[in-house]
Amino acid sequence: MINTFAQVDQYASAGHTPWHRASAISKLLFAFATILLAVFTTSAPALAGYLVVALALALSARLPLRLVLLAATTPLFFAALWLVSRWTGRPDEIAMTALRPVIASLIALWLVGTTPYPDLFAPLSRVMPRVVGDSLFLTYRAVFALLQRLERLWRALFLRGALGGTLRARGQRMGEAVGTVVLYGFERSQRLYQVMHLRGHSGRICGCRHWRETRAEDMWVIVAFAAVLASRIVLGR
Amino acid sequence: MSHLHIPDGVLPPIVWIVGLVLALFGVALSAIATRGVGPQRIAFQSALGGLMLAVMAIPVPITAFDYCMTLAGPIGVLLGAASAFQVSFVVTVILALMGQGGFTVIGLNALVLGLGAMTARPLYRWMAARMRRPLAMALATAVSQLVSSALWLAVLAVSVRLSPVAAADEEVHHTIRWLQGGALVALLAPLLLVAVGVESLLGYGLAQFLDRVRPDLLPSTNAQGVHAKPEASKGSHD
Repeated sequence: MINTFAQVDQYASAGHTPWHRASAISKLLFAFATILLAVFTTSAPALAGYLVVALALALSARLPLRLVLLAATTPLFFAALWLVSRWTGRPDEIAMTALRPVIASLIALWLVGTTPYPDLFAPLSRVMPRVVGDSLFLTYRAVFALLQRLERLWRALFLRGALGGTLRARGQRMGEAVGTVVLYGFERSQRLYQVMHLRGHSGRICGCRHWRETRAEDMWVIVAFAAVLASRIVLGR
Repeated sequence: MSHLHIPDGVLPPIVWIVGLVLALFGVALSAIATRGVGPQRIAFQSALGGLMLAVMAIPVPITAFDYCMTLAGPIGVLLGAASAFQVSFVVTVILALMGQGGFTVIGLNALVLGLGAMTARPLYRWMAARMRRPLAMALATAVSQLVSSALWLAVLAVSVRLSPVAAADEEVHHTIRWLQGGALVALLAPLLLVAVGVESLLGYGLAQFLDRVRPDLLPSTNAQGVHAKPEASKGSHD
């Protein structure tokens, strides 16, 4: 997941497809509407139609095939567990249980892979309480620095043989290692507070303002939603 | 198991809609409880949220397979109930955007992770007054992990109960009954024990380190406070 985070973030910021140029609000609305439609659709052929649209979106956004495959397969474990826990033996139900999470995951990948995080979080933070909205931005910022640090730490522990020994000793050593990262996080938060203070933090992080500016490329998002609706109408009977 | 995030479109809508409403209500309540906190506190809370995401991304080679931690218990102890719930919600939203867990089930995933984290600090306080702080942290983490796992299983059980099961072929049905009764329990119980054990050991190590290096980051055990609280811990609400 470490590389996934970094890769998706890079593709969102550095991509040049029409999806990257479309406005964040149109993509967010499309993603939420399509996921809701997929969740409430009870026709396997219609869901197959949505899957084709979701795959086309992910691939036309020039996201790596490995990421697309990862997004398509990650939710299948829980879906399989669910199917086993209430087995009916009906092929249509198996197909629907497997298709819905895959569609949602692919749409989510397309959304985050084509939208830089300040644009993505700005509309979400508008509808959340201040503490939660600000946390969204700051948590996302913090995760990359902490991931790098944690990765280096894990490598050092491995090279120095700290991941050997009894289970108890290993667990304790890892806990102590995580403790150093907690301490780093605390010191980082102190520095961040001072930076925010110096830059005249007004009491709320607002993100950038262009998430709501509509663009010509939004037409493609409307076309994609029309394809989803067409699948629902034509194949959902 | 609290890290096994539920994806979209699997559970019955009534379950995730109720989960979403409850989680949003929880977020609103926690926002009221943390109304007066400053940016420094939000930055610390976000750093721990980032750490939660970071440790979830790193597989720990404890047994034959890799296990991904959550750190929900220790973060619950360090931040207190209200902030821990907010962190769980934010982490779940970011994970949903990364395709780890669904959008519609953000509420349920946040409740599973957050309610476990919320139990940690009150338990820690009670136990830290009676035993060494690292041990109190380990036990609080274990209980927090058990609460999350129990909630996860409860969500699954309620969802199965609410979904009508059509009659299947008798032989298949018998096999599935065996799987439900035996194999699933046999698979999930050891996983749960490993998860609780690993998280508790990590909690122990973490508290041992903080107790030695920065004891003021750990919450005080009585009303007067054994240790002075740092700036970032001020306004912590439990």
